Amino acid sequence: MPRTAVVGIGSCLPARSVDNEEVIAEGRLDSSDEWIRRRTGIHRRRRAAPGTATGDLAVYAAAAAIESADAAPDFVLLATTTPDHPCPATAPAVAHRLGLPRVPALDLAAVCSGFLYALATADALVRAGACRRPLVIGADTYSTIVDPADRDTAALFGDGAGAVLLAAAEDGAPGALRAADLGSDGGGAALITVAAGGSRQPDRQRQDPDAHWFRMRGRSVYGQAVRHLTDSAGRALAAAGWRPADLGAFVAHQANQRILDSVADRLGLPPAVRFGNLRELGNTAAASIPLVLADDGPQRALAPGTPTLLTAFGGGLTWASVALTWPAATPVRRTLP
Amino acid sequence: MDQVTARIAAVLTEKFDVPAEQVTDRVSFRELDLDSLSIVELYVTLQEEWGVPLDAEAADADTTVGQLVDDVRKLLDGRRPGGD
Repeated sequence: MPRTAVVGIGSCLPARSVDNEEVIAEGRLDSSDEWIRRRTGIHRRRRAAPGTATGDLAVYAAAAAIESADAAPDFVLLATTTPDHPCPATAPAVAHRLGLPRVPALDLAAVCSGFLYALATADALVRAGACRRPLVIGADTYSTIVDPADRDTAALFGDGAGAVLLAAAEDGAPGALRAADLGSDGGGAALITVAAGGSRQPDRQRQDPDAHWFRMRGRSVYGQAVRHLTDSAGRALAAAGWRPADLGAFVAHQANQRILDSVADRLGLPPAVRFGNLRELGNTAAASIPLVLADDGPQRALAPGTPTLLTAFGGGLTWASVALTWPAATPVRRTLP
Repeated sequence: MDQVTARIAAVLTEKFDVPAEQVTDRVSFRELDLDSLSIVELYVTLQEEWGVPLDAEAADADTTVGQLVDDVRKLLDGRRPGGD
């Protein structure tokens, strides 16, 4: 069966690192470094400089992925919850800045599951013959929507972008996608929201400033995330024809260490195959999984072709898992001042 | 100790490292040093085990082991044929 494979990996992080003490001081939070570490596993996160938008991080991560693959994309999919503007989409501007005239380019909104939704969509586009080398970007700047005074979310999120370039490949090629599982439950839409600013609650005069912040009902989300991540990962694994013991790498959306441990334990995966960046980068939303793919740790530890499972859960509610083998591409990493 | 209580006590000791002698009906989650995410994890684990819709939102640090046992028992009884 013809496959689609990851042939280039790129990332872009803002240079500025913000530790827990700084987050606590900014928001005057009733919290402590120790409390945040114990509850979330997060020690610090990167933050985009004022004036740096999601599209800026996306352009540099995408250019890095193109350099890593040494090939030009013919389709651009950008997963984000924090686009540069409500209109138009961010992807066409990113494609333009990359010097890719006339390529189809669109944003995809599936919150923290966005990158895997886009990856599975790009895979289907290639196999349908709609394009040959799609670029899939996950980029977010949650620092623009998180309320610094909200103890439940202020310390969780970081900014960043990651990107992969895909190309048609033979079965068995390193980086080849083998199976995907996507799902949603809009019954849980109220658990993760930015309530205002859309057509449901335009609030153009900003009479309800509170409704423009990102809000999350953490405890409910925890239970839903554990259940859906475990189930979705299990389905993708079965569809790939793999057992948990076959996996050499497990990369889950970097939401919260306690959720990640709970899911990996349920799947019976040993600590040695779990890879993440939560401690240093926090939850980077759509960027978290491609940022792990670009990380030095797994790159050094894993041989190309290693069975790998990616899984994510996010607002919507949405969930997604992709089974693939570890790519042979050497990642290119960028830092933005 | 009945089956439900015994199983909850076992989960608390095995998964959350609570000393077995601390688990009594009247002890609260706070006294067992379980934070809010541990409480949700406990409820999710018990939901999976018994297939009952336990509501972690209704629990907090002051909820006691005895109250949890009662909730699980009610859900299990309600599920039995001939129950309410």
